[in-house]
Amino acid sequence: MQIKIMIKHQIVECVRELECNNVAKVLSRNLSKIWLDVIYAIFLREVKSNSSDKFGIAWSVISPVAFIFMLSFLRGRMDGGDTHGIPTFFFMVYGMILIQFFLGLVGSVSAAIKKHKPLYAFRQVQPISSILAITLFECLVKVFVILVIGVMCFVLQFDIHISDPLSLLFNLLKVAIFSMSIGVIFSLAACYIPEIDKVKLLLLRPMFFLSGVFFSLQDIPQEYWPYLTWNPVLHAIELTRYAVYTEYGNAGVSDLYLNVFTLTSLGVALACYHISWKQAISR
Amino acid sequence: MILLENLTKYYPSTAGNQFVFEKLNFVFPQGRNIAILGSNGAGKSTLFRIIAGSEYPNKGKVKTDLSVSWPVALATGIHPLMTGRENTRFIGRVNGVADLDDYEQKVIGFSELGNKFDLPVRTYSSGMRSRLSFACCISIDFDVYLIDEATSVGDLQFRKKAKQALVDKKNSANIIMVSHELDELKLFCDSAVILHQGKLEFYDNLEHAIDIYKGL
Repeated sequence: MQIKIMIKHQIVECVRELECNNVAKVLSRNLSKIWLDVIYAIFLREVKSNSSDKFGIAWSVISPVAFIFMLSFLRGRMDGGDTHGIPTFFFMVYGMILIQFFLGLVGSVSAAIKKHKPLYAFRQVQPISSILAITLFECLVKVFVILVIGVMCFVLQFDIHISDPLSLLFNLLKVAIFSMSIGVIFSLAACYIPEIDKVKLLLLRPMFFLSGVFFSLQDIPQEYWPYLTWNPVLHAIELTRYAVYTEYGNAGVSDLYLNVFTLTSLGVALACYHISWKQAISR
Repeated sequence: MILLENLTKYYPSTAGNQFVFEKLNFVFPQGRNIAILGSNGAGKSTLFRIIAGSEYPNKGKVKTDLSVSWPVALATGIHPLMTGRENTRFIGRVNGVADLDDYEQKVIGFSELGNKFDLPVRTYSSGMRSRLSFACCISIDFDVYLIDEATSVGDLQFRKKAKQALVDKKNSANIIMVSHELDELKLFCDSAVILHQGKLEFYDNLEHAIDIYKGL
């Protein structure tokens, strides 16, 4: 009797092995697991495709660090002292980090939907997974950029001073959210109107000079402020400087404006995505 | 069973919306291996991509409780800078394969890429690329495989192997296939759907359907 059962078991095992032999079983996953799996897979792909040469993934950190550090260092050396109560070096560093964060994120997210178009052949992959994976990748790179700059300042014995670390973090987060939202809107629009990509370049280029990276709003006569204060990046940069050195002040910029802009842009981006993503990839 | 409900699909163009389907209702019966017949531009590939969920209709929806493969055309979702192994793992992850290492082994075994499996796909020939993507699909356990002239990949020997794999599948899964080679359709399919002027018609007998299709 015992032996019979054992043989039966073995036969069942064998049949199962034969059945499994040339196909891989698929897990049944719930929606959140599918999303996480897909975002993780695209994230890995993103890392891979950014590290194909000998510099590898390090280059995406080294190149902005070098750019930010050199420009800030030169500028700091040139005028030597303070800008409205901040050492000029740090004045420049915060401005450069935020504007690069903004431009980098808008640039890569606005290419996100088209970049992975062939992958939408897999029903599990939706454009938003591509957007989230690319945002995650860009944010991680920027975290490393900030860490490396911090370590360099420490080694060079620059005096790092942060009065309000929480606002600093929140400002970074807000820049991340509204940059992603603007990127999403551009990305969707480009699926319908390809010319948007050219217009985007035209619109983004002056941002580097309009966002107060090289100057402070306080250097500009007050009657010209309305021409500049529409720009949320300017608010983010000035508020971040205020967060690290309270003496710098927050003349002309407002936390409320930044918050409202961040929430509105996120809302508009999600709404646009919701109504148009299916058609955007089916054209 | 795959249910098409009120499906409308058009492509916008300068000459107005080009309708592929308008308010299409159709049921693909279960347990049949179905050939899709239709002339060029009738919308076979579009229908295929909508069933697979690669593309979305303007109105209506596709309902199914089966696991459907992605449309196996040439080199879908293969990244040229990544190696064969990385591409395989990507596809496995996206599709929720339970054991990625095991899946890798199956794909290596089927695609016969050997040590090239660890080289970037950029260095592959086009035949090797399609061998990889075919192996990636056939090694996953789906209920329905969507095959778009994919048995015409690779050299003679691989073609034979691909055909054999599909014939073996006939017992455990179903195939929906688009091809202009009627001999091939006869080998895999037992029934057919004719797509003509935006309408679908199911025929239980493939030979019968081919006769009608020739007469169109």
